[in-house]
Amino acid sequence: MVRLTFAAALTSLALALTPITTFAQDAPSPAAAADIVPASLPEVPRNQTVVLAWGVSSGATIGTTNPWSVPPTYTHQEGNNLLWEPLMYFAIYKNEFIPWLADSMDYTDDTFTTLVIKLNAQAQWSDGTPVTSKDVVYTFQGQIDNERLQYHNQFSQEVASVTAVDELTVEVKFNAPAPRFKFEVLTEKFDTGISIVPEAYLSAQADPTAAPGRDEIPHSGPFNVVAWNNTQKILDLRPDWWAVKAGRVAEPAVKRVIMVNILNQPIDTVAQRIVNNEFDSSVDMRAQIIGTILEQNPDVQSWTGKESPYGYLDWWPNSLWVNTQLEPYSDPNVRKAISLAIDRNLIDEILYEGADIATIYPFPLYPNLQAFADSPEVKAEEAKYEPGKFDPEESAKLMTEAGFTQNGDGLWEKDGKTFDATIQAFETIHGDIAPVLAEMLRNAGFDANVNFGTDAYQNMTDGKAGLYLFGHGASLFDPFEALNLYDSDFAAAAGAPADAGRFSRYSNPEYDALINEISPLDSSDPKFIAGAAKALGIYWRDTIDIPVIQWLHRIPYNNHYWTNWPSASNPGLGTNGAFWAHTGMLVITGLQPSGN
Amino acid sequence: MNVKIILKRLLFLVLVIWAASTIVFFVPRLSPRSAIRERFGELARTGGFSPGDMEKLIASMEKQFGLDKPLLEQYFQYLNNVIHLDFGYSLSKYPSTVTQLIAQALPWSIGLLLVTTILSFAIGTVLGAIAAWPRAPGWLRSTATPFILLTGVPPVIMGILLVFFIGFRLKWLPLGGAYSVGIVPTFSWTFFFDLMRHQILPALSLILGSVGGWVLSMRGMGVTIQGEDYVNFAEHKGLTGRRIFRDYYLRNAMLPQVTALALALGTVVTSAIIVEGLFGLPGVGTLLNLAIRANDFPVIYGVVLFITIAVATLMTVLEFIYPLLDPRIRNQ
Repeated sequence: MVRLTFAAALTSLALALTPITTFAQDAPSPAAAADIVPASLPEVPRNQTVVLAWGVSSGATIGTTNPWSVPPTYTHQEGNNLLWEPLMYFAIYKNEFIPWLADSMDYTDDTFTTLVIKLNAQAQWSDGTPVTSKDVVYTFQGQIDNERLQYHNQFSQEVASVTAVDELTVEVKFNAPAPRFKFEVLTEKFDTGISIVPEAYLSAQADPTAAPGRDEIPHSGPFNVVAWNNTQKILDLRPDWWAVKAGRVAEPAVKRVIMVNILNQPIDTVAQRIVNNEFDSSVDMRAQIIGTILEQNPDVQSWTGKESPYGYLDWWPNSLWVNTQLEPYSDPNVRKAISLAIDRNLIDEILYEGADIATIYPFPLYPNLQAFADSPEVKAEEAKYEPGKFDPEESAKLMTEAGFTQNGDGLWEKDGKTFDATIQAFETIHGDIAPVLAEMLRNAGFDANVNFGTDAYQNMTDGKAGLYLFGHGASLFDPFEALNLYDSDFAAAAGAPADAGRFSRYSNPEYDALINEISPLDSSDPKFIAGAAKALGIYWRDTIDIPVIQWLHRIPYNNHYWTNWPSASNPGLGTNGAFWAHTGMLVITGLQPSGN
Repeated sequence: MNVKIILKRLLFLVLVIWAASTIVFFVPRLSPRSAIRERFGELARTGGFSPGDMEKLIASMEKQFGLDKPLLEQYFQYLNNVIHLDFGYSLSKYPSTVTQLIAQALPWSIGLLLVTTILSFAIGTVLGAIAAWPRAPGWLRSTATPFILLTGVPPVIMGILLVFFIGFRLKWLPLGGAYSVGIVPTFSWTFFFDLMRHQILPALSLILGSVGGWVLSMRGMGVTIQGEDYVNFAEHKGLTGRRIFRDYYLRNAMLPQVTALALALGTVVTSAIIVEGLFGLPGVGTLLNLAIRANDFPVIYGVVLFITIAVATLMTVLEFIYPLLDPRIRNQ
C-alpha cells in the first residue's frame, strides 16, 4: 500500500509539473521567442548612458519595431522613436517645421491640392541604402491600402495619387484642398505623424503588417535595438547615422539608451530611484511628487526649473464631456449650469499654485493657437458666451429652468432622481483634479462623485450617464481638428460606441456647415479665422463639452550625468520634452555630458 | 490508502480544475468592457493613437481573437484549448501567447515567493519548536521573539519600510528591479550575485512578517505535545534530548504545519501581486495585475487557472504524502 501511495504521489507530482513542463515545451524559451538577446553587450560607461524609467500597463510586444505592426503590438513610445524618422518634425514652441528626411515639403499653390516632397540626398537606412522616393511612395500607398494602419482614413479619403517624380522627389495629389495634411499627417510632433518605412524590407515580407521587425528591420534613426526583454530595452548609437553627415545635428554624446520598464512599481519608488541618480528621467508625475524630487536632489530639474507648475503644455486639454444625446445632458442649459459651477481660478490656485492652467478652449494654447485665441473674432465670441464664468447662482437658475429642484440635501432632483454627475476618470492621471471638480459640482447641488474604476473608459464610449474627464488629442497648430471632433459625422448613434475624444455625440447642421466651410482653408486665411471663431462660439454657446484644464507634462530631468534637457529657459530645438514622444529623439540626441 | 480513494482524489482534482476554468472563463466576460477598445483608448490617452474609424478596427480585431462568436461556442473552444494547455493569445500583448507570458513570469515568482514561503516555514517551524522545548537554553528560546513582534505586518508595509530605509536612505541595496539596469541575464556568477542582491529586500519583506505566524503555531503545538504519553515514554526510555526533539516531538507537531504550508502556498499569489509590484519584479503577480488593468482576460484566466491547477495539485500531492508522515493515516 505504501508503494501505491508513492505511485499516486508521483502521478500527482507529474500532473503538477505537467503545466510547467508543457509551458516550457509549448513556448520556446523567452530568449528564442521574443526577447532580443545580444551575443555580447559592449560595456558603455554610465556617463555615456541615459537611463529612462518607463512603464505602461500593457506595453508593446517585445521585439516589435516595425511601425506598421498595428497597435497594441507597436508603439513609438518605448524607444522605437529612436529608430524611426519622419519627413519633418515640428518645433511646437518655436512654431516652425524642422526638415528631417525631407529638405522641403510644400504645397504647389494656394489650392492645397498638390504637395511636393524633396528628400535629403544623404538620408540613409541603417543598412547603408539611401532613403528614396520609392520608400515614401511605399509608405503612403501602404496607408491607403491597409485599413488597419493608423492614417488609413486620412490617406484613403484625401489622397488621389502619390507619384515618385525622381529618386528624391515625390508628388502627392489630393482629392480636395488639404491644407492640414502636411502638418497633421506627414509631420511628427508629440505622438502623431507618420514615419517613413523601408520599402525594400517590408515589401519582401509576406505580410508587412505582421513582421515584428526586431533588430533586423533597416531604420533611419540614430540607434539600434541591441537588447530587449520585459524589464528593459537597450539601444546603442550607431556610428553611421546619416543625420550627422548631413549636418542635421552634431554627433550625439549619448552612446546608449536604456528604457527601464518600471512595470507597476509605485511612483514613489520611481521617484526615489531618480533622487538616487539611478534614472535620468521618467514618466510624467503629479505635482506633489515631482516637487519632492526637486527638493531632495539638487541635480534634478523640471521644465520650469525648480518652480511650479513644473511642466510644459501638453497636447491634451481635458474637458468634462457628456453624452449630448442623453437626458438631462441633452439640454444645453444643463451643460451650461455645470460649467458655471466650476471655479477655474480656484483650480489654478489649488492644483497649480496660481499658474494659468485652467482653460476654456478645447485645444492647447501653443503659439499659433494662442494667436487664434487672441484674435478679435474669438474674443468677441468669448465676450458673448463667457465660457469661463463661475456663477453658482446663474447655474442654479438654469437648473431650475430645466425643471430641477433642490432636495433636502441641497442636490438637484427631478422625477425623484438626483442629477447624476459621476465623473468617469483615470486615477493615475486625474487623481488630483477629479476630486476637486466633484467637490465643486457638489457645492453647486450636482450629485457628483468620481469613478476611477476600470470601467471608466467603457462607460465613456458607451455614452453612460455622467461626466467624462478626457482630453482632446486634436489641434496643435490650428483649431480645425479640435472643432472637427464635434462634426455630426462623428456623432455615434445611441447604443453605438463612440470613438476616443468623440464622446459628445453632438449633432448640429449649423455647426457642420461652418466646419465644411473652413475645412479647405489654410489657417492663415481670414475666412478660416472668422469661420473657426464662429464654430468655437457655438461650442461655447451650446457647451458641447466643458473645458477644464490644459494638460501639463511634469517630467523630472536629472542633470547628474546629463545636461541640456529641454526647459522653458532652454527650449533647444523647440520641441516638447517627452523622451517617449516622436520628437523625443531630438531630446536624447541633444543631451550633453555633465562631466560626472 | 486504497486505489478507490486515490482515484476519488484524482477525480476531485479534475473537477476542481474544470470548475475553476469555467468560473474564470465567465467572470471576466460578465463585464461589458472590451479589452481591445480599452487598449485603443489607452493609446489615445497616452499616445495620440486615434484612427478615423476605430470601431471598424476594433471589430476586425475582435474577429481575429474569436470574440465575435457566441459565448457558448467560445466556451467550448476554450475548454478544448485548456485540455491542450493552450490559453490562446494575450489581447494586450498580441502576438505573445498567454503560455509564453506565464513561462516568462513564472521563474521570478517561483524563485522569490516559493523560496521565501518555504524559508519562512522552515525558520518559523524550527524556532517555534525550540521556543516550546523546555530543555532549550533561554537565549535560544528567545530568538523567536523579534519575529513574533513582527507577526502580521503586511509584506507591503514591510517592503515600503525596507525600501525607504535600506534602499533609499542607506543605499545598501537596490530600490527595485529584477537585476541591475543595463545588465543582460547570463549564466555567470556576476549576474547571479547581482540577481540575489536584488532579491534580498523583496525576500525580507515577505519573510520578516510571516515567520512569526509559523513560530506561534509550532510553539502552540509543541506545548500541547509536551505532556503526551509517548514523549514521557521516550524520556523514561533514556533517549537523548536531540532524538526526542527530532523523532517524537518535531515529527508529531509538524502535521498541522504541513497542512498550513499547503494552504499558505495558495496565498502566495496575493503576496506576489503586492510585493512584485512594489519592487518592480516581472513575476506572475505583476503579469496578473497588468492583465486585470488591461482587461486582458485570456491572460487573467490563464494565470488564475494555472495557479488553481498548481495549488489543487499540490494539495492532492500532500494528501498522498500525509500517510508517509503519519502511518496512522495509511490505514484509514
